[in-house]
Amino acid sequence: MIERRDTFRADSLLTPRAGIDDPFAAAVHATRMSMIIADAQAPDMPIVFANDAFLALSGYARDEVLGRNCRFLQGPDTDPEMARRLAQAVVEGAPINVDILNYSKDGKPFWNALQISPVRNAEGLLVYYIGSQIDVTARKNAEDRLVRDREGLVTVATEQTRAAEQALAERTALLHEVDHRVKNNLQLIGSLLVLQTRRTEDLQTRIALESMLSRVSAIATVHRRLFQSRDLERFDVAAFVRDLVGDVSSSHDKVAIDLDLQSIEIDAAQAAPLALAVNELLDNAFAHGLNERRAGKLSVRVQRQNGHYLIAICDGGPGLPPSGQFEPGFGLTIVGLLAQQLRAELRFEPTNPGVRAILELPVNA
Amino acid sequence: MSNPLSVLIVEDEALLAVELGFLVREAGCVEVGHAADSAVAVQMAAQLKPDIALVDVHLADGPTGVDAAREIAAHHGAMVLFMTANVKRLPEDLAGACGVIGKPYTDRAVRRALIYLVGCLERGCADTHPPPGLTLSDSHAARWGVHHLEKTA
Repeated sequence: MIERRDTFRADSLLTPRAGIDDPFAAAVHATRMSMIIADAQAPDMPIVFANDAFLALSGYARDEVLGRNCRFLQGPDTDPEMARRLAQAVVEGAPINVDILNYSKDGKPFWNALQISPVRNAEGLLVYYIGSQIDVTARKNAEDRLVRDREGLVTVATEQTRAAEQALAERTALLHEVDHRVKNNLQLIGSLLVLQTRRTEDLQTRIALESMLSRVSAIATVHRRLFQSRDLERFDVAAFVRDLVGDVSSSHDKVAIDLDLQSIEIDAAQAAPLALAVNELLDNAFAHGLNERRAGKLSVRVQRQNGHYLIAICDGGPGLPPSGQFEPGFGLTIVGLLAQQLRAELRFEPTNPGVRAILELPVNA
Repeated sequence: MSNPLSVLIVEDEALLAVELGFLVREAGCVEVGHAADSAVAVQMAAQLKPDIALVDVHLADGPTGVDAAREIAAHHGAMVLFMTANVKRLPEDLAGACGVIGKPYTDRAVRRALIYLVGCLERGCADTHPPPGLTLSDSHAARWGVHHLEKTA
């Protein structure tokens, strides 16, 4: 900011011999900081002084500059709002700093960090405006590039998010379609078995078909359960057992069933083998664990114990033969194989009366 | 029991429809017709005035079961029970249906559900909670007073 006493020196700049005797005037002439002075009292405030740095920056000769209002530096892409703020500050006699797009004589645009300060004389009358210009095109371009890069990044991110969402929607739709087909096919297999059972008179064949239906139904129940749950990766064993027992027990109204089910979850990949094994043990209990009137008591327990998942099915039937040895049928052979696959331990304990079948899975199998 | 209730089966899988026919009879009802697409289903419901319609969502003419069910329940006086592999895709109000059985179902679950629903229809209220495999719509659960029953284990 030029102090009031300096206005006289500003006057001295304008004389033809300016700078010869006055080191201050000489400095203003020679500085690489572009500077102009405009006459605030003359109509349309013409430029009355421009230093060499200004001429170098704008590309004009001194005689092309003097006598003109400095708005000739503005051009087609100059922000009208910036030009308006500048004009308003000049009218109000207020200092102002703006970054404004100007044009040099050859039409090349440059970003001008323009500072304008009013200069008053001893009476406080506004006599000059002194303006300094710095070419900040490089800085502006870098800023613009940053903004463009950021906008570009946002665009890329938005695009990628949209693509990911679409992929997820497609995946979900596909999953629903596959789920739907698997369920319908399991339903069809089940119905085929039921239909053939209805047409079959031979008792052994009927029993075999019914066993197969029971196995298919167990797998179907797994599938229904898996797709009902939020997490497709985990399988709730207790909920499955509740479903299974609920379904089987409806055809055994003289059987009291006691359920003690803690919620345990296993990996979905283990769901079908475990479900099949539990289904066989349950079928076995219904087949051998009831009295001659098809009545009795069963209990099913699911719990976590000593780092293992324990599934115990207890009947009140005649129990194991005295030797403890028995020849496993097809159903128990299946359970043995599945237990191996699950790295589970399968054992039968006498409960007098009855038998307890226990399947013990390692928790992190 | 008075006159057995009449049942319309709306299912595009022929084998499932035949098996459902057996289950309907075993539940003490009579099957009055079988439709494989929605237009025939609505037409048969209008003509035969069944007491119950068992309706699949995916029919021979596409996923039209929900609209057919709404029409049948609203205008032809039948109580609709959905039987679908797409339980999650059903509208919140179940399109006026009394409930849904998810596929794959077992023959036992369907028989049990039918017997339960026949009981509810005849008494006008439920005597127990619905059996496993059957989910009632909110409106029918309220109509039959299911929420006032004691929670069973």
